[in-house]
Amino acid sequence: MGSTFILFMSNLINTKSVFIVVPAYNESRTLQLVIQQLLAHGYTPVVVDDGSAKNLKSFVPTASAFFIRHKVNLGQGAALQTGISFALEKNAAYIVTFDADGQHDATNINELLQILIETKADIVLGSRFMTGSVHNMPGKRKRLLKLARYINYFFSGLLLTDAHNGLRVMTIAAAKKIQLRENRMAHATEILSQIKKNKLKYIEAPANVLYTDYSRQKGQTIWSSFRIFFDILLNKVFK
Amino acid sequence: MNGIQILLIAAVVVIMFFYIVRLRSAIFDLIILTIFSGMAIFFILFPEYTNDIARKMGVGRGADLLFYICIFFFIFIILKMFARIRRLESTLTELVRQQAIKEAQSQSAEYKEEGK
Repeated sequence: MGSTFILFMSNLINTKSVFIVVPAYNESRTLQLVIQQLLAHGYTPVVVDDGSAKNLKSFVPTASAFFIRHKVNLGQGAALQTGISFALEKNAAYIVTFDADGQHDATNINELLQILIETKADIVLGSRFMTGSVHNMPGKRKRLLKLARYINYFFSGLLLTDAHNGLRVMTIAAAKKIQLRENRMAHATEILSQIKKNKLKYIEAPANVLYTDYSRQKGQTIWSSFRIFFDILLNKVFK
Repeated sequence: MNGIQILLIAAVVVIMFFYIVRLRSAIFDLIILTIFSGMAIFFILFPEYTNDIARKMGVGRGADLLFYICIFFFIFIILKMFARIRRLESTLTELVRQQAIKEAQSQSAEYKEEGK
């Protein structure tokens, strides 16, 4: 009875076929907990170790999760694309991108999946600024993201409420169309450009973001946003 | 001929020699290289001609004209370098990605076999 209820609630998704791509670079402190949470929900995590100094394999239970390791550090965009390509090869039904630093909430995945199915969208983008989401962001970062929103709009043509959110849920059709060529952080804008180019149906949904001292340390600084901007420019110049 | 001219001509000859011996020997490259080196040596020997060209273009001195041309030349080189680095990067990414996926595939296959 209980299980049928859950099945009904989850719109008949086989959670095992939901692949969660987790790009990780030296995230040994948080990775284990993130993977445990994902496994507790029954998802299939695909950890992409982006050439971390210390191999992250020992933090991943390889019996129930996939582990891919880049020999050299290429950047988050490259790690995401590797995970997505791998999930496609493994016949995933849905592909989710999820940060390894523990800032996302694993319970949001199911909500976003439901929205994806109900609205028949191709991709659902998490947003920490929509009503219904909880975040504890410092003011300085908030203003930076507000600016990033318009920069993204300028380069991609999509005006979203949240410019750089790592939580996204997409269908297989969308994942096949999205080909990330930006290795570093500019991939967030590149995804939007490709959504626009391939005329994918996208929708934003509230997603919680939890800032800890750790994620603040690992996260983007003012300086790195200049780097992102430069990468986006180069992407436009050289294609 | 004064000291600086000898120095510069020697530098041009050395660069030309190095290029021919070490890098490429395609006939087109050789012709271009010889023309440029010839021009360089000519202007080193008769620097006053650069002033004539510069004055015709509305620039005061030949050295100034050279400076302006150099700026644009280097910007062009930098852009070419960026393009090349990006191409290299995408090749590297593709290689690392394929190798990583292959490795992960073989590992998960091993796991399945152990499961049986």
